[in-house]
Amino acid sequence: MGNKKKNLTPAQQKYQGLQQKHEFKRPILKNCLRAFWVGGLICMFGQAVTYFYIYFFNFTEQTAGNPTVATMVFFSMLLTGFGVYDHLGQFAGAGSAVPVTGFGNAVISAAIEHRTEGFVLGVGGNMFKLAGSVILFGVFSAFVVALIKTILITWGVI
Amino acid sequence: MKIKYFCMALLLMTALMGCNQNESNESELALIKKTNPSPLLIKNNSRNEFDLVKSIEKDIESIKELYDVAVVKGKDDTLVAYKVKHLQRFHMKKIEKKMKKMLEEKYPDEKFTVSSDYKIFLEAVKLNEKMKDPNYSEEKASKRLKEIIKLKNEMA
Amino acid sequence: MLKGKQSWVFPNRPVITATGVSGGPFEANGKLAADFDILHDDLWMGQDSYEKAHRVLMEEATQAVLHKTNLLEEDIHFFIAGDLVNQITPTSMSARTNQIPYFGIFGACSTSMEGLALASFMINYQGANHILTGAASHNAAIEKQFRYPTEYGGQKPPTAQWTITGAGVAILSKNEGHSNLPVTTSATIGKVVDMGLTDPFNMGGAMAPAAADTIIAHFKDLQIDPSYYDLIVTGDLGEIGQSSAYELLTNAGLKIDQEKFQDCGLLIYKEDQPVNAGGSGAGCSATVLYGHLLNQMKLGKYKKILVVATGALLSPLTFQQNETIPCIAHAVSIEMNN
Repeated sequence: MGNKKKNLTPAQQKYQGLQQKHEFKRPILKNCLRAFWVGGLICMFGQAVTYFYIYFFNFTEQTAGNPTVATMVFFSMLLTGFGVYDHLGQFAGAGSAVPVTGFGNAVISAAIEHRTEGFVLGVGGNMFKLAGSVILFGVFSAFVVALIKTILITWGVI
Repeated sequence: MKIKYFCMALLLMTALMGCNQNESNESELALIKKTNPSPLLIKNNSRNEFDLVKSIEKDIESIKELYDVAVVKGKDDTLVAYKVKHLQRFHMKKIEKKMKKMLEEKYPDEKFTVSSDYKIFLEAVKLNEKMKDPNYSEEKASKRLKEIIKLKNEMA
Repeated sequence: MLKGKQSWVFPNRPVITATGVSGGPFEANGKLAADFDILHDDLWMGQDSYEKAHRVLMEEATQAVLHKTNLLEEDIHFFIAGDLVNQITPTSMSARTNQIPYFGIFGACSTSMEGLALASFMINYQGANHILTGAASHNAAIEKQFRYPTEYGGQKPPTAQWTITGAGVAILSKNEGHSNLPVTTSATIGKVVDMGLTDPFNMGGAMAPAAADTIIAHFKDLQIDPSYYDLIVTGDLGEIGQSSAYELLTNAGLKIDQEKFQDCGLLIYKEDQPVNAGGSGAGCSATVLYGHLLNQMKLGKYKKILVVATGALLSPLTFQQNETIPCIAHAVSIEMNN
């Protein structure tokens, strides 16, 4: 912000000051509370799915993670397809975007959106339009962390 | 709109709670509440062995970070499954190390498998219940114990 | 005829003979549903893509207006219209359908008034007898173009606006002494104003200076004051833009009654519809003017109005490259023919 402000002419600065008075602020506290509740509920549901896998299938607490993630993404796919998830997202903000369901929603919404351009160029080419950067930077940061850990272990720090 | 979501949340909660109703078996509740199963001995029902298992359980229960312990002793292996108090779960690895060290020092002749996994605990409790059935053979029980230990080692 | 620096007056007073307005499901639940000729209860409108539905909106509005005037496509000399999709394809493809000689224009959400001003100019100088002009937007197609996929659950800030689904077209004809029909009397072409705003979720705030600039220029060029008009209506400034523009106009010394300063984006929806700061899109000013406002004029509620359609001339590419949002506004004055 500070950098951008420098290049503004006085007239632009004056108007931005005026405009700021009229601009609605994001209701941060309300958004936080909503994100907390909805995000918490989604995670509670996820925990229930984990217990379901532990209880009825031969998964331990650690191995149950993978099928749980797959199930949650499947549910968010259904909700996205039925047109519920975007309303939930508008209500909950980060609460529905941060859990893995938000990732599922980003993939599926892009796939639905570009269905009209065909399966290969439309769905295939655009499916990871939004989620692609999540995957890229997720993998990259995992690589960096693993690298640091390896170095620390060879040095005998940990 | 808001009301719709609230109703959805309520429905979900009642559905989840409904699952937990009218269930009497101990093992079915093992994930949620404290079961405190008695220690289980699969072979060699001698006085000596029984005292050993009892004392193992007592030693482990004395670790204050834990709240629920199941001990199953087979022919070769001894399975120790436990639940860690919620806020102590941050120190899970430390607790496991401490416990292993303590057990190995005190019972150098035994081979221990230690796990804080709910699944292992659940299976231990289930095995305990099955053993109450006189038709459940010792052989089957040892086999089951081996399976549980295998499952535990799978997770890494 | 040029008057002042950037305004035209139309002494031959071209007539808006008839209008056609189509809309989508969200508009059908809005405040002005009664002023639409065609309303769809499904965003797909029986098509297999939103872009095709977008085209259908334009085609149906055209059919509606032709039906009202008993004119045929061959009687219309030119078709001046645009929309917001890349390369304005929905409008161009509806021009393929109607086979009227076609000017495709892009002025973002100011397209409606850009078209009306150009059409008035042509009619005024006998360039044509009948011109079809208008603009359209389709919520899902435009959101796809400019923002995230429609089903993506990103939270929009309260400054965001809702792209309306609708098309508004009008047939502008040579004045042959029709009575009780609205005529265009003058137009002011705006210049691009960029106040350095970068937030694509706050278009109203970015466009307000352009609107104020054009309104001020209009009064200066024509040497009249705001009391000349019964209503000054902006295109799609939304709540933030409208109050900002009002303050800018007041600061510039124009005394406008707050009641007489309205915004199409605020008129079209009910208060309880979840549109955040208001409606927007090329179809916004087109549907509200050609539907609601002209009906109100015919009923005698307003005699003289000034319509100022505002447009944000950004593309998804420019804002990702950290460019600021350039904005424009065009004003057309519409009066009842006495």
